[in-house]
Formats: sequence, C-alpha cells, structure tokens
Amino acid sequence: MKPTELGLRRAFEVHSHTLANGLKVLLVENPSIPTVSLTGSVLAGARYDPESKAGLAIMVSRLLDEGTQNRTSLEIADAIESVGGAIEADGSFERIIGSAGVLNKDADLGLELLSDLLIRPIFPQEYVDKEKERTLAEIASALDRPQVVAGWAFNELVYQDHPLHRPSHGYPHTVERITREDLLEFHGKYFVPNNVILSIVGDFHISELLPKIEAAFGSWVPKPVVFPPYAPPVRQTEKRVKFINMPAQQLNIYLGHLGVTRTNPDYYALQVLDTILGGGAGFTARIPMRLRDELGLAYTTFASITATAGMDPGRFIAFIGTSPENMKLATEGLLNEIKRIIQEPVTAQELQDAKDYLTGSFVFAFESSPQIARFLVHAEIYGLGFDYIEKYPKYINAITVEDISRVAKMYLDSENYTLVVVGPVSEDGNIKGKWAGRDLGKENGSK
Amino acid sequence: MSSLVIPTAFATEDVRRTVLANGLVVLTKEVHTSPIVTSMIWYRVGSRNEELGHTGKSHFLEHMLFKGTDRFKKGEIDLLTLKNGGGNNAFTSHDFTAYYFNFASDRWDVALQIEADRIVNCAFDPDEFEAEKKVVIEELKTGLDSPWGLLLQEVEAAAFKVHPYRNPIVGWLQDVERATVEQQQAYYRRYYLPNNATLVIAGDFDTDDVLRKVDQAFGSIPAGTNPPPMLLREPDQRGERRLVVRWRSKVPRLAMAYHAPHIAEQDSYALQVLAVVLAEGKASRLYQRMVEREQTVTFVSAEYGEAKDPTLFHIRAEARGDHSIDAIEASIHDELASISSSGITMHELDRAKHQIEAHFILSRERTLDQAILLGQIETLYGLEYIDSYLRHINAVTIDDVADVCTRFLNENNRTVGRLLSDGSDADAEDNSETD
Repeated sequence: MKPTELGLRRAFEVHSHTLANGLKVLLVENPSIPTVSLTGSVLAGARYDPESKAGLAIMVSRLLDEGTQNRTSLEIADAIESVGGAIEADGSFERIIGSAGVLNKDADLGLELLSDLLIRPIFPQEYVDKEKERTLAEIASALDRPQVVAGWAFNELVYQDHPLHRPSHGYPHTVERITREDLLEFHGKYFVPNNVILSIVGDFHISELLPKIEAAFGSWVPKPVVFPPYAPPVRQTEKRVKFINMPAQQLNIYLGHLGVTRTNPDYYALQVLDTILGGGAGFTARIPMRLRDELGLAYTTFASITATAGMDPGRFIAFIGTSPENMKLATEGLLNEIKRIIQEPVTAQELQDAKDYLTGSFVFAFESSPQIARFLVHAEIYGLGFDYIEKYPKYINAITVEDISRVAKMYLDSENYTLVVVGPVSEDGNIKGKWAGRDLGKENGSK
Repeated sequence: MSSLVIPTAFATEDVRRTVLANGLVVLTKEVHTSPIVTSMIWYRVGSRNEELGHTGKSHFLEHMLFKGTDRFKKGEIDLLTLKNGGGNNAFTSHDFTAYYFNFASDRWDVALQIEADRIVNCAFDPDEFEAEKKVVIEELKTGLDSPWGLLLQEVEAAAFKVHPYRNPIVGWLQDVERATVEQQQAYYRRYYLPNNATLVIAGDFDTDDVLRKVDQAFGSIPAGTNPPPMLLREPDQRGERRLVVRWRSKVPRLAMAYHAPHIAEQDSYALQVLAVVLAEGKASRLYQRMVEREQTVTFVSAEYGEAKDPTLFHIRAEARGDHSIDAIEASIHDELASISSSGITMHELDRAKHQIEAHFILSRERTLDQAILLGQIETLYGLEYIDSYLRHINAVTIDDVADVCTRFLNENNRTVGRLLSDGSDADAEDNSETD
C-alpha cells in the first residue's frame, strides 16, 4: 500500500514570536470549531525536586489555581465555569502546564486567567495544608491498584538514584515536609517568562490576539534560570527482580530497563521497532499477537521504549496483566519476543507494515486544537521544527531492517533487566492461595 | 475552511440520514477539516438484551467480531488497519455495541468492506472462541481488581432487581466461563442484522459518492426478523437499599445510586443540570462543601447519562484519611435536602447551563467524537434529541431542579454502597509465608 500523501494537507501555519521578556509564543489559527485552547508550559518539573522534598513541583502545579494576587480559588473556578470553560494545572517530571479550553468568545478571559495563574499565584497556607492532606490520601488510594504499585516499584529499580526513580508527586514523608516557602521559592526560580512556552490554537486572529498576549504577559519580569545538575541514569548491568504480595485477581508484570531520550537519533527506528514488537494497530504486534491473541494470557499486554522518551531517558517497558497461574508462561513469553527481535532480523513485510502504519496514522495526532497545542511545545523543546509533519514520513521511511536489528541490540536487553511482579505472589516468587502448588511446584519466579 | 456558528455546527442539519431497503440506517456527515474518515457501525444490542445465565454475551461477541470471517481471516482486520495506517476499536454498553475505524480519506472504504462482511460472516472458529474466552476472563478480572469497578458492580446489582442493567456488561464470571460457541453464534444471528444497525460515516468525503459505496457494500445483505423487544421493566423501589463490600483497601469509598429516567424524558434535562450543579468543577456545591470546607473527601462526583431504559443517577465519593464515611454520606444527604427545600441560585443555574453547552461543543472536535454522538443518539432515541437538546437544557428552571432533586434523589429511591476494609491491608506485607 502506497503511503498516504494526505498528511501534508493538514500542514498548518505556525506563528512563532518571542516577547521582549523572553516568553516564547506559538500560535496556530484553527477555525474548524469555535473554541480556543491555551497552554502555558513552564520548563521545570519534578526532576528538579530535592530528594527530601519530592513532590514539590507537582504540588506547585496543583496550587496554581487555588488563589492569586487578584482572585481567590473560588473566584477563579466560578469565572471559568460560568462561561463553560475549563482551566487546569498539572505537572510532570519535565514541565508544569497550565491550560485552558474555552469557546472563542471567551478567549480573553482564558488568557487573563492563565496569566494570573502562572505569574501571580500566592499559595495560601490554608490550601497548602489542604493539598498536602489530599495528596497523602490520593497516594493511599493509588496504592490500592496493583498496576500502580508495580509501576512505582519498577521505576525505583530502574532509575536507582536518578530523580525519575520516585513517583512525581513524591512520597508521604517528603510531601509532609513541603512548606509554603518551598512552593514560593520554586515558583520564583522557575516561573519566569524566559522559561515558559505559551501555545494557543483555535478560532482567533493572530493580529488581534498578539496585543492581548503582550498586555497579559508583557510585564512579567525575566531572570536567569539555573537548573540543579544531576547525573544521568545508568543502565543496569545485572538482573533486578522484585515480587510484591497483594491480594488480587491478576498479576501485574513489568519487565524492562532504562530507555532513551526523545532526542536520541535512533528514536524513529525505535518507533518502528515498538510497532513491530508491542504497539501498532489492534493486536498486530508480536507481543499482543502471541500473548493475547494466540495464548489468551491477557487482556492488556504491550511493549514500548519510545512512549516514555523525554528530556531524560525513559524506560523500555513490557507489560502484562494475567492470572497468577500464567506467571511463568507470561514472563517467558515477553522475554522470548524481546530475545527474538534482538537476535533475528524482522521481515521486510513487518517493516513495511509498521512504516505504513506510523506514516498513515500520524495525521490523527493533529485533529484537535489541544493536540496541536501540545505538538507545538514538543516541537519547540525537542527541536523538531514546525515542518515536522512533512519530515516525519521521511524519517520513518528511511528505516531499514538492519536499523531495527542494530537498535534492538543496542537498546534492548534480555539478560540485564528489571522484573516486578505484583499480585498474589510471595516475596520469593511463589504463587499464593489456591494456585499454589498447581503446576507451579518448582516455580521460583522467572529469573 | 468555513467559519461556524455555534448552534448549527453541531446540530444535525448537515447530517444526511438514509435508510437502505434492508433497514440499515446510514448517517453521513461531511467534515473537511482533516483528511480523515471515521466510520462506525452501531448495533442495537447490549447487555440489556441478555438473559439470566447468559450475561456478557454482547461483549464477548464484540471480541469475536475481530477474530475473522471467510474473507478476512483471523488477524486480517487488524493487519489491514495497520497497513492502511488506521486505528480501530469497539465498545459494548448496556444499550449498544459499536465498532469504529479511523483512516486517511484516500483509503477509508476498506472499513466498509470489513463491516459489510462481518455483519453476516463472522467465523466462530471453536478454537478461537476458547482462546478469546480466556482474554475476556482476564478483562473481567482486571475490573475486579479495581475498587470502583467492584463497588459499582454491587450497587447496580442491588439497585436493579429485574432489569438487566443489574448485570455487568462484561458478564458474571460463571456465565462467561460457561458460554458456548453455539449460543454465541445464535445470539449473533438474532441481533447482527442490517435492520438492527446504524452506519455512521463522518469526515472528508463526498456524500453522494459514499452513499453509492455503502449501497454496493451493504445493499445486498438481506434484512432479518426484527429482534425481540426487551420488555423487562424495573418495579418502583420502595425503600432504601444498603450494602457493604469488604475489600483489601483502607480507603473507604461511597457510591450512591438513584433510579432516574431514560433519555429524553422531560425530567432528564433538569437532572443533567443538577448533576453539574452538584459536582462539576471546583465551584460546584459538593466540591466546595466536601473537598474545600469539610475536607473529608479526595473527590466527589455526580453522573447521569443518556440511557435507553430508566437508569441510575450516581453520586460517588472517596474518603480522605480516616474521615468517617457516615459523615461524608450525611453531608451529601444534607446538600440534597437543601436543594430540595431551598433550590439553587440563578447563578448556579446559569453556570451549569453554560458548562453543558460548552462541553457539548468542546468535546466534539474530532470526527470520531462526532460519529460517536450521532451513532449513540440514533441508537438510543433518534437524532431529533440532538437538535432540541440545548433548547431543553436552556428551558430548565430553578424550580425544575429542586423538583427533580425531591422526586428522584430521595431516601426511598436510593441504593447506598460502601467499600470498606476487610482488615487484610494492615498485615498484607507480613503474611507472605502463610495463605
């Protein structure tokens, strides 16, 4: 099947502009529906949290809309909800993002509120106390889910001392230590215009919007930003295995190791590899086809190394949720597919199908204004270029069978990996409860 | 690109409704923003059509529809999706089963070939059936490992005594385990008929051209006997029902469900406004009271959606720390009593209406979202619901909201479920040597 040329038709014009204070502004007019999507991305996140105060950046993000110099928490909520819009702030390891979605007639209000949240939050003590309690309660709630427990334990083992080893919202004992002064300090350090990207996509005219952006953000005072240094993560050179007992119907199994950054030159070859190994459409990739479609071991099973690639290296993750009696079969099944793609070249047909999938489905990432707003930030941060839509198919189509073998050998490891299993299993890897001893007498984990 | 006016962009006047001779309803909507076509097929069958002892059939069938036909062998539907750079998926609800494909607009009609084939030619290979049964059981177990999944399943089973909305969509474990390929095939023959389906196509195409292709692909499929109507009706509830689910968590959770009307009934619009007033956004009543002032919950929600038969209005909350679940429940009852007796403010009413209107527009940007709206409403009721929806919402008064709160969200009409610790969480780390 010939790759589609239609992606090009979606090419949109990006207006890039930098205010005098260093604020980067990226705008796309998209009049297809009468809405506007606004996103302010602060280029600092949980990766800069001190270990003893892990959770700081996320708490900053969650308190942005709980009071500013101009408005109380309730006034912010009432203002945006009264026009049917939504405003929210969220954080990750890399960024803190304030975003608003409004009807086009309310774009001015969206802009005004977003600037207020980013520039003038006051972190009222009352809300700091509340947010800490709430975060602690949410951590307790999240720990009810075996997949969450497994994911967190996996990160601890893979990243070791690197900041990404911890949950982005921190641990109970570090959340308890965070003070209002810490939040103000974080805000003062990183929330400066020269460290922020504002992307706005929707039904507006750039010539009318720019002066309003200048009015809302122009007086924000710039200052140099210093990011705390930390050592890059180290890829493991031995096996790390952990079993965590939790009464549950299923085992949640994470198998993998350190991955790559988004700017790694092999990122596109690895995207093709992901499509062949554990992603793609339906259950066409090797892992879902074998473990789900043929063996019926799971409803959810996948693998990917590019999905978590960011400014820091992400993780290669192979996941399966399966009944306890399948532990050995499932773990070996994942490992066998990893070994196979390292040791044997993929077929020309697999390669072509994966390319056709990636280049053809690419257009679905640019359907809505919020999607385009997110793309603009990625394009800016990772230096993708705003002509990325035209370049992407070329990157993918250049990948060869040899490339896949090379990157599989280079970035995947079927010997030195981390394995975390959470569910009805003992700490030495024996299945608990009614499955104990049934065909698993000699089972001692799948090391 | 055209500039759109809010009400007409999402009304149905640019939707063409065609009915083929065999009864297949075809809805087409041209959207030329992106070179994408979404095609969906909606069958008027879901867990509401399942009989006692045979729950989960509709959902299992959805899985089987990807397992091949004579023409598209096992794996080929996904493979064609891959090769053509598309996406596919499907979902089953109480009221319907729906399948979709997203493709670039120069190659989307492969979706028509697949859907036209698998209406009638699903293979039901016995080995494939048994393999897929294992997948469905794993899916069911994933749900049981979710505290909310477990609690809501118990609440729905208690709230409905007669109506099949009492059953989980994925089915009860024993029913799924006992399912046979013959029964599954008979169910398929009864419900997968052109006269029991709606085809929705939204995106970058020419309508006349598409209708010709649809007729070529689907026109020769014979109509079947209309499936039997589902006649079960839930008797009135005559008093509160309460239940407790014991689970390994130490975080108490509360789920309350009130019987409420089906789609398009007069009271349904005021109930939708009430749900928003109660818990949509940080300015909402329950958020302000329970998250902000009393600080007893991490979240509180109120949900009421469109359904073919009388359904449930849900209020849920998750306790923060060791706050008493009694106090949390009492606050919700108190807030409902206050709305019943004193009503809401004009500002609350206006805000809720704006939230509903904006959501209606903000959430329909992708062609898939638009196809889902059209398919769902055509399947549940009829497209006229969409045309008059915002008018009905706009007509809701303060008195209407207080009135539906009194008549529906009252003690005798509610089922209250609590998920509480079974005592195992305290020593979960220590008992690894026992069991």
